Amino acid sequence: MRAVPAALAALVSMLTACGSAGADGPADEGPAGPDLSAELVTPTDIALRWRAGDPAAAAYVVEFATEPGGRYTILEFLPPDRTTFTHPDLIPRTPFYYRVRPVHGPPSSPVEVTMTPVEGAPPGDWTAPRAVPDDRARPERLGAPTNLTAEVVAADGVRFSWTDNATAEAGFLLESRPAGTEEFRVVAVLDPDVNTVGLVTLPEERVAAYRLRAYELGPASNVAHRTTGGP
Amino acid sequence: MRRRLVGGLAVLSALVLAAPTAGAEVEPGGWGSYSPGFSVQERGCGDVSDLTFRLTCSTAGGDQRAERRYTTYTSGSRQFEGYFRITSMSGSRISLKQTFNEADGPFFMLAVERGGRLYAVHGGTTVGTGATVGATVRINTVHDVGGTHRTYVNGSLKHTVSGPSGPYYDKFGAYRTDSGAGQITVERSGIRFWRK
Repeated sequence: MRAVPAALAALVSMLTACGSAGADGPADEGPAGPDLSAELVTPTDIALRWRAGDPAAAAYVVEFATEPGGRYTILEFLPPDRTTFTHPDLIPRTPFYYRVRPVHGPPSSPVEVTMTPVEGAPPGDWTAPRAVPDDRARPERLGAPTNLTAEVVAADGVRFSWTDNATAEAGFLLESRPAGTEEFRVVAVLDPDVNTVGLVTLPEERVAAYRLRAYELGPASNVAHRTTGGP
Repeated sequence: MRRRLVGGLAVLSALVLAAPTAGAEVEPGGWGSYSPGFSVQERGCGDVSDLTFRLTCSTAGGDQRAERRYTTYTSGSRQFEGYFRITSMSGSRISLKQTFNEADGPFFMLAVERGGRLYAVHGGTTVGTGATVGATVRINTVHDVGGTHRTYVNGSLKHTVSGPSGPYYDKFGAYRTDSGAGQITVERSGIRFWRK
């Protein structure tokens, strides 16, 4: 008999959670993952804060949606020691839902690239990601890419190739660290099994280091929710 | 007691099912979803396959276009939502989304530069720097005909412009701008429209 009010309480709790979808309540509870909270710091700016604590995280992704069930879009890849993010200048009077997920996967060794004058560009779409046969692979569930090479193929273009050793990757992340900066930053998200791609470089990447990782996303945080104000 | 519980559960379940969901549109208030018709435009080296749009040549001249042109609207407000993912792009200055004024031309244009790593709008304003190639990007536009046109990239306001009265229409896909060139493959998804 004591289970009756408990069951009702659970359902009422579910209803309360559903009803809060359009209101400014506390963050909903969710599965294990980073502990995320959201604060409306101006009518159209939302500040996120989370407790990371995943020693295997190579990075974190912040995702947002404007409907309770998604669709979620990645806002940014952040270094593993970052625990805050501000989503600025938001759509007014609109519900925003957020979650944070760790990125897992070891990186390749980096390659240093110095852009040199090159006439023209290769024929065809030299930037297109491709999977080409490579018998050097040593399969491992989330094995780091090896044999990463970079070839300057245009005045502002580099073609990367590597050996794909991963068997369960969600894809690959190409990361850049321009000379004089401290951290690698994700510059391209690639599909699974890809092992060559071209990148158009930015002016600050005249000299830069690049690396690659086969990745998967870890468990999502709870969903944090706020509704913006404004006109 | 068990019967009452079952009854209570049924009522609560019905309430769960009937609980209002947040409106899918942004800037909520009086919008109704609709599905405008469209025509596919393939010119030059443009190729359209459902929601994948390609320019297959790197020429810097001529009309290179792979787009959907939606039906004309003349008054009221319109809202567009869509996602794009550039899977490859060796060129620059390719338009991905236009709001076109039939009298004055491309009233608003969202374009990409440098292999998809920068987003720019008509007039050259850069709205995104160091963009992530291969990542999915969400675009929302809200247009009050005769008033303002607001563009949100991944939920953030990036561009506001005032415009004249209609008629207008929406276009998206891949289109070489006057100063643009290069190949591109861009995948679209989640296309939705609202009006009021």
